[in-house]
Amino acid sequence: MIEIFEVSKSYQRNVALNNLSAEIPRGQITGLLGPNGAGKTTLIRIINQMLIPNTGYLKYDGKFLNHSHLRLMGYLPEERGLYKSMTVGDQLSFLCRLRGMTRAEGSAQIRHWLDKFNISDWRGKKIESLSKGMAQKIQFIAALVHDPEFIILDEPLSGFDPINVDLIMSELLDLKDQGKTILLSTHNMQSVQDMCSHILLLNDGTKIADSSFSELSQNHQSSQFVVRYRGTKIAFANSLWTDFELLDQHEVTSDLFEASLAQRGDRSVDDLIGNIKGHVSIEAVSRKRLNMQEIFLELVNANKPLE
Amino acid sequence: MKQVWIIAMRELRGRIWNRSFLLMLIIGPLLLLTMAYFLVKANDQGKKNLTVLIADPGNIMEGVISSRENQKISYYFVDGYLDLDEFKRGKDYQKFDVLIEVNEKVLNNKKAFVFYRGFLSSDAKNSIKFNIERRIEEVMVNEFSTLTIDKYRQMKQPLNMDYRNVDDPYGMQSQSEGYVGLIFGFVIVIFILLFGLSIMRGIAREKSNRIVEVLVSVVKPRRLMLGKILGVGLSALTQLFAWSIFIGIGFWFFQNYVFSEFFISDEYITMQLNEGNDVLFGKYNMLHQNEVIDLIYQRLNLSVVLPIFFITFVLGYVFYGAFFSLIGAGIGSESDGQQFSIPMILFLFFAVYIGYFSIVHPESSLVAICEFIPFTSPVVIMVKTCQGYASGSGYLLVVSLFILFLSSLIMLYFASRIFRNGVLEFGHSLSIRKLFIWLKSDS
Repeated sequence: MIEIFEVSKSYQRNVALNNLSAEIPRGQITGLLGPNGAGKTTLIRIINQMLIPNTGYLKYDGKFLNHSHLRLMGYLPEERGLYKSMTVGDQLSFLCRLRGMTRAEGSAQIRHWLDKFNISDWRGKKIESLSKGMAQKIQFIAALVHDPEFIILDEPLSGFDPINVDLIMSELLDLKDQGKTILLSTHNMQSVQDMCSHILLLNDGTKIADSSFSELSQNHQSSQFVVRYRGTKIAFANSLWTDFELLDQHEVTSDLFEASLAQRGDRSVDDLIGNIKGHVSIEAVSRKRLNMQEIFLELVNANKPLE
Repeated sequence: MKQVWIIAMRELRGRIWNRSFLLMLIIGPLLLLTMAYFLVKANDQGKKNLTVLIADPGNIMEGVISSRENQKISYYFVDGYLDLDEFKRGKDYQKFDVLIEVNEKVLNNKKAFVFYRGFLSSDAKNSIKFNIERRIEEVMVNEFSTLTIDKYRQMKQPLNMDYRNVDDPYGMQSQSEGYVGLIFGFVIVIFILLFGLSIMRGIAREKSNRIVEVLVSVVKPRRLMLGKILGVGLSALTQLFAWSIFIGIGFWFFQNYVFSEFFISDEYITMQLNEGNDVLFGKYNMLHQNEVIDLIYQRLNLSVVLPIFFITFVLGYVFYGAFFSLIGAGIGSESDGQQFSIPMILFLFFAVYIGYFSIVHPESSLVAICEFIPFTSPVVIMVKTCQGYASGSGYLLVVSLFILFLSSLIMLYFASRIFRNGVLEFGHSLSIRKLFIWLKSDS
């Protein structure tokens, strides 16, 4: 949907994005990840056309990104704000009209979203009278009220309580099911793991990952194994020799144990099975899956510039 | 353009449904009308009824005041000397405001003492002097010459040197028109200042509450800025328009009910003058004696002045408004705004000073230059328009307005560049260097 071609952006001497090329696929939730200062906000602002790249260009559905595409986009910035003296209805209506909707269209959409979040009675309330969490919900609606096909969300879950986090996450999955494309910038790795099918990871303005989550998970395998066996703990520990380090083990049921092992050197699964075979009865051997947090840390640490 | 209009309408609605705005719609004109009332009254000073007692021990004036220049002064005579203390405290004399002592030596030393209670206006002093002097003249002419009093007065009449400008041979103009122009210019400056600061604060507030990031994700920063300038400008015009109506009604009320004595139709004056009606002649004089009334209702060509005022107001506002908006977009904190608005405020005060200077020294080269400099031209244009351009030099007005128009466009261009780059920057300290970087940067 959005193709980024060799985009670079500098603020005087600071390089925010360095020759970035990537793609945000249609109909998926793409996680835009990276440590602070990685260039995520700069990339979002370039997509939103708030910033012009020094070099490179972007395409939206094969056409050069231009101002007319803004109406197809919804944006929830990290630093949020609303007009405090306006009512919820007026605020949303104002944004709808700016996005080219008629009053009637806007009004119908506002009603739809307020009903959906069960907050229809907030329509006449002034923003200043809302709590922080309530205002966050309005801001979330403001990003979606014009029914955009491409939605950019910068830390959409921050400031919400767990109930509302759940509500927003299920709403995002609903939007994905409706065919919307979502770019989700967040530090909440669990939400990325739960929702994102595509990951774009930046570090120091450079892309360090751009693939589907399953691919990423495949490529970044853990050096740890999980073994389920029947037998005695002593026999199992002795079978490992010095090739594997026993990290933890516990009894699952009577006579059935689960052990976590760390790989040493270049030992393989075959070596592990070879070692323990005959000492205990093997029920299952698997490589431990890395979660998104671990993949993120591994990637970022591997790409740290040399001091 | 539609987005500009939507933003402008939001700004306009947000402002005009504000309680303080609505309050100022009423209080502003009331204040101005009150000021105008006192101005007219001050110009009409000395109209209070005065009772004057003349102590004339030599009976020189023979109990006669032959000329009554001021109808509101009543004269009474007393024979013999009157002790000052008695006049001051005596029960019988409390009704008198003034005591004039005309002793026997007055014909020789031409000196009379005037004692008054409280305050005596210069107008009243002049009237008393005029009346007493005329009566003494009559006595002296009778006593010391064979001339008739009319002949004497004819001889005494000083040579009247009437200085007239070749472009204004009938002396229709005076500095007063220039001062009215200065007031128009001052109104422009005040509106620019108030609403310019309002633009700056509005943008700064939107920056600080971060709504600006949502807005510029939908609207080009240039359009956002134009919408703000337009919306705030429309609210300024709404206020100005409402004020004009209220003030117009106020002046109509003054004309018909408060200062009605100053207004009589020209036809009626002509008719009555032909009949030698002294009372109306006096009223005719009053009409022309009250400078403020005469100026507002008679001498200003409002059909020219008001359109020029409107054009100058709009162009001046856009020029300065763009400046204030770029500062609003550039600032990183409230104190930045205060610091950077000071030069603007100084420019505006300087413009008012140049307006005054152009009344006092209309031919100076400084005025000729400032007429074309957009920072000062709004005030100078108004002063010169009210004074009236000399025939053949009306093109100067067109040139001034054209330069102001062009400068406004250039200022909008610069402001939009700085606005685009600065509006998303937070928490920094604004500097001239930063403004230049933003000006040069392509975002």
